[in-house]
Amino acid sequence: MGFKLVLAQVSQEELRHEILHTWEARDAWKIPLQIGSIDISINKAVWFLFLGAALTFLILFIGSRALKNRPGAYQVIVEDTYGFGREFLGGQVGQEGMKWFPYTLSLFVFILVLNIIGLFPNSYPVTSNISFTLVLALLTFILTQYMGIKKNGAGKYFKSWTPPNLPAKFIMAPFMWFLHLIQEFSKPLTLGLRLYANILAGHLIIFVFLGLILYFGSFLAIVSVPMAVVFFAFEIFVAILQAYIFAILTQVYIELAIYAEH
Amino acid sequence: MQSIDPTGIFDLPNTSLIFWEVITFAILLALLYYFVYPPIKNQIRQRQQSIEQAIDEAEKTRKEARKLLQEYRQQIQEAREEAREIREEARQQGQAQRERAKKEAREEADRIIKRAQEEIQRERESALREVRQEVAGMVMQASEQIIGRSLDRDEHERLISRSLDELEAEVAGAGSGR
Repeated sequence: MGFKLVLAQVSQEELRHEILHTWEARDAWKIPLQIGSIDISINKAVWFLFLGAALTFLILFIGSRALKNRPGAYQVIVEDTYGFGREFLGGQVGQEGMKWFPYTLSLFVFILVLNIIGLFPNSYPVTSNISFTLVLALLTFILTQYMGIKKNGAGKYFKSWTPPNLPAKFIMAPFMWFLHLIQEFSKPLTLGLRLYANILAGHLIIFVFLGLILYFGSFLAIVSVPMAVVFFAFEIFVAILQAYIFAILTQVYIELAIYAEH
Repeated sequence: MQSIDPTGIFDLPNTSLIFWEVITFAILLALLYYFVYPPIKNQIRQRQQSIEQAIDEAEKTRKEARKLLQEYRQQIQEAREEAREIREEARQQGQAQRERAKKEAREEADRIIKRAQEEIQRERESALREVRQEVAGMVMQASEQIIGRSLDRDEHERLISRSLDELEAEVAGAGSGR
């Protein structure tokens, strides 16, 4: 931080603010609320969370109300979204998992809508907030463990964490069980971090490219703007991909727990 | 609770967002599960059923059409067969008719000829008989006139008849001898 750039038109502090302004404005559009000492104020992130949930519901709801036997384009999209959930999300490991595809499909559409909303300038990408993604991942974790215990019984489920036919069983079995325990916790952690990091990084890269113009001068727009556009386009792809990855991994984790014994 | 990161890019824990996220997501799930997924599921199932039904119907119709075609072909075949039979029969009938007509005509002709011959025969015989009586009468008259008395008629006739027979035999013998 100590060195000075000759062409600097803005200070590094200002530049950092320009790049991070989306995430720094935590108190924007705020309605202060509290439960005890816990802050539950409705701020910009929460507003966009509401918006995303409302849009998710409306897109699917309107599609499900206007159902006809000879479908129009919109109905086909909604039905295909449902069909996509049934065919590509549910039943990854076995038929028991089909029960969970409406949940993961909801996750998919919800995260996708939030990702897309986040791409609009001056919005807030809720999925780039680690609190948000980790809570969704925590839900996945809770459901996974719940289904594992419910379907197999607690004893069998936890026993299934040690692979069968281990050599030197007395030492290896607890060790492998412990490894699996770590894995069980790292699953939701990576799930949450992956979505958060991808969306955050995408937005940051766009802002960094545009921030370079502020820092080095407007001539850099020749490079920066096309690059920002390219990354923006890539972000649309990432928005879909990450929503899909989050949904399918949730589905797979739950189904793996259901079929833990096999 | 204060966030551990002042920039906000590692916003943990953001209690308000977490709180509202859980509530919003729960409501969203409830709404989707109650109002959105059941009708879509029904609609897809219904369409699937109607498509399956349509396919079944099409299959049935095709089968029927094939059967019908088969039937028609058979009928046409049968009709041709029948037509051929009728033609054959007609031809045979015609032939028989012709034969019969010919035969009848021949018979008729034979009959006519026979009748004519009989007629001729009869005519000749009656003519002969008349001539004979005439001759006998004339001979008797002549004889009566010459002799001057009447002869016993029966005797006389017998004589004449015999001489006529002899004459006839002579004529016949001469006729056949030639």
